[in-house]
Amino acid sequence: MAKRPSRKPQVKLSPRDKKTMTRLTGLADRVVKAAHARRDPSVDIPSRTLSNVRYSPRKRILEMGHSKNRRQLFDLSQAKAYMRTMLVASGCKRLLDQGKTTSLRGLYYMLKHTIEGAKENTFDEQGECDTIIEDVEVLLDSIREELHLYAENRGAMVGNITLLDRGDTIDCSRMGSGGYAIPSIVEPEVIQLDRKKCQAKFILHVEKGTVWQRFNEDKFWEQHNCILTHGAGQPPRGVRRLLFRMHNELKLPVYCVLDNDPWGYYIYSVLKQGSINLAFESQRMAIPEAKYLGLRSIDFDRCDLSDSVKIALNDNDKKRARQIAKYPWFEKKRPWQSEIQRMLKNDFKLEVESLISKDISYVTEVYVPERLQAKDWLD
Amino acid sequence: MGHVSGPLAQIGPWVPGKFDVIIRTTAKLTGSQRTGVSSDSNGEAPLATAKRKKKKPAAQAGPRKKVKKKRPATISSAGRAARPGKSTKRLAGSRAGTLQRPGKTAAPDGSGTGNKKRAVKRRSTAQAMAAGQRDISVSEFFAKNRHLLGFDNPRKSLLTTVKEAVDNSLDACEEAGILPEIWVHIEQTATDRYKVGIQDNGPGILKKQIPLIFGKLLYGSKFHRLRQSRGQQGIGISAAGMYGVQTTGKPVKIISKVSVRKPAHYYEIQIDTKKNQPKILNGRGDGVDIPPGDKGLRYIEKHGIEWVEQPHGTRVTIELQAKFVRGRGSVDEYLEQTAIANPHVTLHYLDPDDYEYQYDSSAERLPPEPKEIKPHPYGIELGRLAQMLEESEAMSASEFFRTRFSRVTPAVAKRICGGAQVSTRANVRKLDRSHADKLYHAVQQTKISAPATDCICPIGEELILKGLHQVVPGEFYAAATRPPAVYRGNPFQIEVGLAYGGTAPTQNVTEDLLLELLEETDTRTVRQFLIHTFNGLGGEAADKLVRAAALKTRQNPSKLKPKERQRLYEAMKKVNVAEGQQMEVLRYANRVPLQFQQSACAVTQTVLGTNWRGYGLSQSRGAMPKGPVSLMVHIASVWVPFTSESKEAIANYPEIQKEIRLGLQAVGRKLGMYLRRRLKVKQQSDRREVFLRYLKEVSAAVSEINGVTQSQLYDQLVNVAKKHTAEADMKLDDRGRPVEEKPEDLNLGDNVLIVDPSTHKAAINRVHTETEEIPAL
Repeated sequence: MAKRPSRKPQVKLSPRDKKTMTRLTGLADRVVKAAHARRDPSVDIPSRTLSNVRYSPRKRILEMGHSKNRRQLFDLSQAKAYMRTMLVASGCKRLLDQGKTTSLRGLYYMLKHTIEGAKENTFDEQGECDTIIEDVEVLLDSIREELHLYAENRGAMVGNITLLDRGDTIDCSRMGSGGYAIPSIVEPEVIQLDRKKCQAKFILHVEKGTVWQRFNEDKFWEQHNCILTHGAGQPPRGVRRLLFRMHNELKLPVYCVLDNDPWGYYIYSVLKQGSINLAFESQRMAIPEAKYLGLRSIDFDRCDLSDSVKIALNDNDKKRARQIAKYPWFEKKRPWQSEIQRMLKNDFKLEVESLISKDISYVTEVYVPERLQAKDWLD
Repeated sequence: MGHVSGPLAQIGPWVPGKFDVIIRTTAKLTGSQRTGVSSDSNGEAPLATAKRKKKKPAAQAGPRKKVKKKRPATISSAGRAARPGKSTKRLAGSRAGTLQRPGKTAAPDGSGTGNKKRAVKRRSTAQAMAAGQRDISVSEFFAKNRHLLGFDNPRKSLLTTVKEAVDNSLDACEEAGILPEIWVHIEQTATDRYKVGIQDNGPGILKKQIPLIFGKLLYGSKFHRLRQSRGQQGIGISAAGMYGVQTTGKPVKIISKVSVRKPAHYYEIQIDTKKNQPKILNGRGDGVDIPPGDKGLRYIEKHGIEWVEQPHGTRVTIELQAKFVRGRGSVDEYLEQTAIANPHVTLHYLDPDDYEYQYDSSAERLPPEPKEIKPHPYGIELGRLAQMLEESEAMSASEFFRTRFSRVTPAVAKRICGGAQVSTRANVRKLDRSHADKLYHAVQQTKISAPATDCICPIGEELILKGLHQVVPGEFYAAATRPPAVYRGNPFQIEVGLAYGGTAPTQNVTEDLLLELLEETDTRTVRQFLIHTFNGLGGEAADKLVRAAALKTRQNPSKLKPKERQRLYEAMKKVNVAEGQQMEVLRYANRVPLQFQQSACAVTQTVLGTNWRGYGLSQSRGAMPKGPVSLMVHIASVWVPFTSESKEAIANYPEIQKEIRLGLQAVGRKLGMYLRRRLKVKQQSDRREVFLRYLKEVSAAVSEINGVTQSQLYDQLVNVAKKHTAEADMKLDDRGRPVEEKPEDLNLGDNVLIVDPSTHKAAINRVHTETEEIPAL
């Protein structure tokens, strides 16, 4: 791994890159300084745990607290993590120097090698690398995009909106059955939104591709003049960031149709308040006005579903549900408390697809329009 | 003749045939008549029963009708008693061949008379009984009760034979002041027969003493003195010879030499069980003298006498019915344990499979000679006191106590006599039983100082360490010799040794060495190879290894394919043979290993009752601690309190248990310190290693980011790492002194030995290419 240091950047850095670069060199300089002074080199990484997350009732989003975890080189349990942190920083520096971006997996392969004189790899799985990347993000206070990293494209969008993606005009109403794949980086440098080119009146976010497919096939977005997105489960940062931008820049309300299970509740919670792990990005992503349209735990009775669609709650689900009920941002909301309690009392969960048992297009033709009509949602 | 029918019938073939027939038939006849049930003369019946059997014919064998009429009460004359005896003999002679099922005819008669006259009829009379009452010879008694002497079964018989001979040899050498060298040779002669030869380099035995020592039970020098020695009674070796003669009919062969210039004496002996007298078979009842020099050597060779040429020494060869096993309670184990407790002994051992073991002496000095002491008043029983009073020549009571006992001063003697209301000047010859009783109780009431303890010769910490190190593979050894203490007036001393072997020898072997070992071995299976080559590796562990290496059980070690060798090597590295291993406890009394009745012994119970968790070993409740630990506990005393006469377990005196516990704690503390330190050092070195491993990566990454010189940064970081671990090195103990980091440097006192286990000599048995020390046949 002995790479010759390349001080001279090969491409011209953007002001944003320059800022990132300063932070990266600052990190390295501190190591040199500590080594020179024969001190123990260490980095203080803001902790990304529930205990260091604060719910701001005023902003209605999750914010990161101030507690930090010290990661020391000369600590048996942290030495490897420290080494990995430095490796990721050097990898990002290389990307910046060359003006290129890479996927998380790409960086993982870039940095993965066998440590000299040991039968040990720097990284064994991509997951190990990904968490370190998040560490570096909070450590340098630079988001992933600024480190020239992107994740796999996930999530799709259709609707009455036209946008610019790296200079290409994308008309989201002419996307066929596949839709527009939402990229990982949706910063203004990549995607430009224009209020004038958006006819849609709201955004409907669904949990999964299969449900989204249903809505798309029934041309729900056409009939109701909206934008239809999905996040393939827990929405990735690209989807959340784009929803945030559309919500704020185009002033579109966001409605979510998610499964009636703890997982679905948490997806909604992440969209609305931000995630615990990425609390530092909440203010760039959280949409406190997002509404939870369904499925509700009363829907089994309300929609008169058959018993066959019930999925029993397992112990994990119950535990998770109780945990979610205790989150400060749910705790004070009575409708939410009764919603969760109702699910626990039902002792089963419901997927959005369960509505198909009524009729194939029940969800698009009856369920969602009715809810929207009645303004029947949870906040 | 007839009185000994029971035992002789059992003893069997070597008794001249004529008597045998008569005796057997007599026994059968009498037995059946008494009980009315078919019962063969029972060999296991005690002597007393055998005698009683004899009487019955005297009362009943005559014409039955007469007896009935006259009533048994009147049959009292000696003449009557004699008559039936005669008839019995006649009967025996005539019916010898037909007496297969005597019960058939005898039973109806016997029961008929019994039913009618049970209340009045006497079965026998005092006179008739007197005819059968007579002396029992010691040898007869022990021939019958051989389990008392450790000849319960063939396996134990072999061990006892070796044990008695080796113990005798060691006692003899030590008493003469010769550094003992002992040869043990076991050879299989038939499926269940083994020939055992034991030779020493001792002082030799005078010609006229040889037959007595080896051919007479209860003949010896050790019984009449109170002194620390291995043997006590003078029964062992002659009993072994007797057992051999009984089971195989082969005589005991003894060859003994007093000096180079004097002739060696060669005897072939049998014991006359009845008379407890040796019976010399060779040299027309006189033994043979083998002249010194070449002529003698030629004679030895010609007659096939087994003898390793030595200037002086004794060799005894016994052939006996036996079974050779390995493992617990085996000869191997006994010799190994003997070598541990007797580091001054050189042992050569050739087992029936022709494996040669050699235990070299690790000490050049003999242990000091134990002093003989007088008994302490507290340790004496009433009967013994009365006997001593009786046997004493005329003297005053005060003088008696002062001269016959230790620790009795005139003042103490006066107090004892005062307590018993006996005048100090009273003549002991005039004291009777009631006085003895009073004196005995007075002794218990009087305060007498503890006995002198210089009569005990402990092995010593240094020699325990040497002995353990020589025999038990390990990396850490500790020993503790407790100061002498007293139980019931008997001085004793406890010694504890501990060996801790961190890694098994199989894990320390290099691949090249393994290949070499595989090539030079002459074992037939891989399993055997493993057991014989690596000390302390049991059959179970060997099986585990063979299984892990995916070899077949019966594969020949020298014909393994390279791939199989590789697999075996990997299995040896990988498999943790110490898993589930328990602490092994070696018990000794006066340097003699105790191999049986482990759970009944005070030593085992104390080990179980000690909390070993505090010393870094894991231990479940009420169980032996786990781990590769061997523990030896030695009790030295002029009188070792055994739980039974078989001398296999030590009795639970609180004083003894306390001393054992203190000894265990002393070595346990040392072990705990060592293990803790080892753990810490391991963590430290792990730490250093981890840091160094990552420093290069960190310096490379940092230099890529800000362009500093990588090597310079690396050096700086290494310095920081060193400083960091050095800080740990410099940690101070609670007295403010810097703590040494290496466990080898740990100062645990003199009685601790720490070695590098990979270079341990005892760990791997190499095959000796030249087969030296095989006795000339």
